[in-house]
Amino acid sequence: MYGNAYIDPNEKANSIVAGEDPEKLAEFEARISKGEKIEPKDWMPKEYRKQLIRMIEQHAHSEIIGALPEGTWITRAPGFQRKLALMAKVQDEVGHAQLLYSAAETLGKSREAMINDLITGKSKYSNVFNYPAFEWADACIIAWLIDAGAIINQVANAKGSYGPYCRALDRICTEESFHLKYGHDAVVTLATGTPYQRKMVQDALTRWWPPIMHFFGPSDKISQHTEILMKWKVKMASNDDMRQQYLNMYVPKIWDLGLTLPDPNLKKNEETGKWDYTEPDWEEFKRVINGDGPCNAERLAVRRNAEERGRWVREALKTADTKYIVPLA
Amino acid sequence: MIKSLDPRITRAEIELNNSIAPLEENDQWETYEVFHQKKRGDQHMHVGIVHAANPDMALLFAKEQYGRRGQSVNIWVVKTREVYTTDYEDSDIFDTVPEKMFREAGGYKVMEKINKYKKEHKI
Amino acid sequence: MNTPAIKELLYKMADDLLIIGHRHSEWTGLGPILEEDISFSSMAQDKIGQSQALFQLLHQLGEPDADTNAFTRNANQFYNAQFAELPNEEYDFSTVRHFLYDHADQLRFEMLAHSSYEPLAKLARKVKGELKYHVFHANTWMVKLAQGTEESKARMQTALSNAWNYALGMFEESKFEKELIAAKIFEGEAALKTKWIQAITPFIEKAGLKLPPEKEWNPVYGGRKNFHTEHLDPLVKEMGEVFRVEPASQW
Repeated sequence: MYGNAYIDPNEKANSIVAGEDPEKLAEFEARISKGEKIEPKDWMPKEYRKQLIRMIEQHAHSEIIGALPEGTWITRAPGFQRKLALMAKVQDEVGHAQLLYSAAETLGKSREAMINDLITGKSKYSNVFNYPAFEWADACIIAWLIDAGAIINQVANAKGSYGPYCRALDRICTEESFHLKYGHDAVVTLATGTPYQRKMVQDALTRWWPPIMHFFGPSDKISQHTEILMKWKVKMASNDDMRQQYLNMYVPKIWDLGLTLPDPNLKKNEETGKWDYTEPDWEEFKRVINGDGPCNAERLAVRRNAEERGRWVREALKTADTKYIVPLA
Repeated sequence: MIKSLDPRITRAEIELNNSIAPLEENDQWETYEVFHQKKRGDQHMHVGIVHAANPDMALLFAKEQYGRRGQSVNIWVVKTREVYTTDYEDSDIFDTVPEKMFREAGGYKVMEKINKYKKEHKI
Repeated sequence: MNTPAIKELLYKMADDLLIIGHRHSEWTGLGPILEEDISFSSMAQDKIGQSQALFQLLHQLGEPDADTNAFTRNANQFYNAQFAELPNEEYDFSTVRHFLYDHADQLRFEMLAHSSYEPLAKLARKVKGELKYHVFHANTWMVKLAQGTEESKARMQTALSNAWNYALGMFEESKFEKELIAAKIFEGEAALKTKWIQAITPFIEKAGLKLPPEKEWNPVYGGRKNFHTEHLDPLVKEMGEVFRVEPASQW
């Protein structure tokens, strides 16, 4: 479950292709514009490799951290069907992390290095998972509306240029469709249930709406950097376009249940065909991404603890001839 | 200690500012390439990798990561480092010049000959 | 058909699976490595699914529906062995319990595949593949961890020694033992225990681990008669926390 790559707008981007062999660069770009995929051992510009590693790694981290807010309710899911489905869903998130770390590894960064960057706070992950799941309904809202956002991003990225990432995303998107159905069913059950259930789901929706509006990130600055990443099919759609697509698909479904969204300005503008909304609080977004959200510290402490508790297990199974090489595809 | 909304986390008694030594090289073992056969008669297809400490575990993991949904009858795992590959750089070795019709089915047009013969001999 | 005897058999199996599946699920997202996290979670799901199937059989015999039965009883109404409810601790104890329990579970279902109580025999045949995988997984992990480092070897031995008497408690006999055997519903706990010792011994030897000397074997009974450790009550309350707010509602 992942929104979009967080590209630091202040990053210097004027030397993106400086020093690259122009002939190889032209061949690389021609391949991408023909719709062909780039495979791990192909020549690629340094910036392409760097941005892909960052993006796929952030995506992988988002899956493993994303297992935590929903995991909050794994021991308390009400009834067999929900208990089984939530277990399977959280398991899938772990599985997605495995697929994405594997894709990133093909670019030359080891899983160990990526985990180390996660647990020291050096790498980012989707901001949305720094918010707490207070009640059962929060886990249902996540399963429906966060996964819905993730699908929009992932379907777009699956058409990107890097072969291993696209293959991982194809597999992931298939599983996400189960998440979406499960999440929708769980939300509908509460929204059409008793007054207590309805209030619980409305409260959760109200809590999660601001993080959902943050999910795809702030409007992209039109920069040379973004343009090149789009040309290279690393970034497949602008943050605003994805947000619009999301609102268009899901706001009517939410309203259809008689639920309220906490934004009085949210409406479809009949003239532009686009959704108007109150500009999300991007200062808060930055604050949270830089570590100061309600759950950042807990999420990382939990990951560190899990890695540490597993260390003796991993150590015990390591054999003298263990020799890692970069996976093939 | 973290007082979490997740009772599992609260029970684990985790310090919020815990720090751990970084994971070392080979902490995640090595990788196996996974080949998966959906049903008898199908080819085994490459589906991805698993990190595993030994082949037995690679099979257990591959079964769950790549076979937990849908039909599966068989899985192979091969250590990544034991797979030999061609280079994409050399993918032009697969380019075939169109004149090599002698090894294509379309290069053999027997019906033309038969029809010609039949016509000539009024068969 | 001896309904009370069958019900008791179904309850203890269903509760074992529910509680142990619940314990397994506590590792989901927090396992020692991603691939194992996924594998362990699948087994947790299988256990809970098997439990649900058994509760459905109970429902057919007039007991409450599966959800109500599993999610609203109190700890002192559960029939699981105390072994199942013990906390996970670390991966050593979790693996040892998985190994000891799954061998027993597989053998129990194998026996029941020939039960004269056809609904249970049918279920036993259906879950055969799942159980086989669980036992494969358990054997591999048990042996590899015990053959690993000095630390892991010591941990596995300690965990096995601590688990042993609780594991023996799985075979606590029912007051219907004779009836079940006579009616060919189930061959009985004593026969199961004998088979179980035979099944686990080669792997324990291969792992280089030692069982406690037989004179120290002291099975922890009570679970089948609703006596539990202090660990079950919080588990059951947690599991039912949401469901119990409105047990009559759809969730």
